[in-house]
Amino acid sequence: MMQEMISGMINTLMGTIMSNQIHVPVLEPLIKLLAQLPVGGFMVSLLFWKAFFAALICPGFATVGILLLFFPWIERKLCGRIQWRVGPNEIVWWLGGIIQLLADTIRFMFQEVIVHRDAHRPYYLQFPFLTFIPTLLPLLFIPAGSIVAIRTPYAIQIILALVCLFPLFILGLGWASNSRFAFIGTVREAFMYFAYEIAFIVAILAMIILYGTSDLVAINNTGTWGILLNPVAAFVFFVGAAMATSRLPFEIAEADQELAAGPHVEYSGIGFGLIYVLCYEKAYVLAGLMTVLFLGGGSGPALPGLGELSGLIWFLVKTLIVMTTLFVLRVIYPRYRLDQALSIGWSSLLSLALVAVVISLGVFMIGGGAI
Amino acid sequence: MKKVTVKDQSVTEKALRHARAVGVSMKESVYPLTATVYYPRERKKMPANLRGYLLFEPEKCISCWQCAFICPANAIRMKEAPNKRYYPTVDYGKCIFCHFCIDSCSGGALYSTKIHDVAYRDMDEMLTLTEEMIEQPEVLREDKKSVEYIIDKDDLHLKRRREQDTLFVEPTPPVEIPMVSQCVDRASCIGCRVCEEVCEHDAISSKQEGNILRMRIDTEKCTGCGLCVKECTMQILRLVRK
Repeated sequence: MMQEMISGMINTLMGTIMSNQIHVPVLEPLIKLLAQLPVGGFMVSLLFWKAFFAALICPGFATVGILLLFFPWIERKLCGRIQWRVGPNEIVWWLGGIIQLLADTIRFMFQEVIVHRDAHRPYYLQFPFLTFIPTLLPLLFIPAGSIVAIRTPYAIQIILALVCLFPLFILGLGWASNSRFAFIGTVREAFMYFAYEIAFIVAILAMIILYGTSDLVAINNTGTWGILLNPVAAFVFFVGAAMATSRLPFEIAEADQELAAGPHVEYSGIGFGLIYVLCYEKAYVLAGLMTVLFLGGGSGPALPGLGELSGLIWFLVKTLIVMTTLFVLRVIYPRYRLDQALSIGWSSLLSLALVAVVISLGVFMIGGGAI
Repeated sequence: MKKVTVKDQSVTEKALRHARAVGVSMKESVYPLTATVYYPRERKKMPANLRGYLLFEPEKCISCWQCAFICPANAIRMKEAPNKRYYPTVDYGKCIFCHFCIDSCSGGALYSTKIHDVAYRDMDEMLTLTEEMIEQPEVLREDKKSVEYIIDKDDLHLKRRREQDTLFVEPTPPVEIPMVSQCVDRASCIGCRVCEEVCEHDAISSKQEGNILRMRIDTEKCTGCGLCVKECTMQILRLVRK
């Protein structure tokens, strides 16, 4: 009786896993070879189970890890080039300092975590880790090609809800720090939150009207470049993303020159390390969302032999390009003042977002329904 | 009070300016004009007499102390050598590399090298003795290339050569301005004959005529080194142009 139940469960599980596999023609012989081993077949099929692959490898956890390790380097090198500098160079100089962030991470690991006397100790220590919940969870809903961890018709809404949670955690950080600089930075973060949030959401609303669905996989499968249909929404989304990642030109909350580091001025050691990579994660999530909404997601000429991985590669390439563009803004523009950013957010950006909705409705009418 | 205002721009003008900024950044990301010299691995090529570490040739030194007198940072001290002459020592903790000493050296005994990265472990090491200034110092060199800055019409670019730049240059002989020692106030001379003793070229001679000692400067033999000028107790000797 018991045995039957267990075997039935295993069979159901295996059926679920096997029915949702990633097909990669190039790797077929290798998979067949591994399947002959005692547990090899199960391991391989687990690895290539779409949900598992999406959550833990790509676009999920492993990709985020690798990106966090190397993207700051790419950004610093590129910005250095544009500004006639060299960027990080001395650690493994013949590779151009590529493991700079690894070295930094090791330093962060071994640095003392100082909790100053005025800090609200439990929250102060928890918030850097808690912040990772809203930044990592959206990755479950972003499809890379056809690979997605959770497919739901409410993907965009869930991602938006989580993305809008970011600033709350930053506010928490600043509040728990209980210091002057952190306080000013926190208030600025709150202001910025209101500046971009509404225009950002309205721009996404325009895209939902255009596509007639909020299922990101369905949007991805249409393969249309939303930026061609509604460039205004793309622009608003892009500026909103630049504001949300709080990097230059909207680095108002952190403002190195005036506030040292804004909300996270008091953090040291691994706490600071986690907050330092936070904006890169935000940028990854927002760039992924932008890729799917505006740049056709994983659509592109199929790469021979890679099967479903082809869409994934296109998705990653596009996401990286969007991320790079987002970060290169910091060498092109100086920082806006808080009042300027607020006026941009509340006047131009919001009105542009409304124009984007009108454009979407126009496309909807002319095209005779959603795409 | 003058109020700074922003020039009114139309939307297209603004958009054009943004596009131009983005264009410049794209151009620079592909072909940047980086002017960084990767210092320990390559060295910037310096002009031969750009103020650097000092070297010294004792044969040319006449111990006139001009270098020590003129040093604005008091970095040069004269030290007595076994041959009873005074030679300069340089304290690099004080030296400001103005090279007034080289300019003032009448014999051209001090000269510059192209070493600009002088480093010491402690303060005592910074006092460089005369004997250490004669030999070329050992330089730990990691550089494989030499880099030259080339300035075009409006831009600057680097030219890298796969060769080490030499750090030591042959000292250029000083441009000699013919000077001669001259007594400006003969009546004040006390006849101590210090000038006669100190003169290396036998240009100064004395002749006793009864109670009067007559000093004489031979303008042909005088090289204008200024030793007598420095030593004269009454400070009545001057260097004048020949």
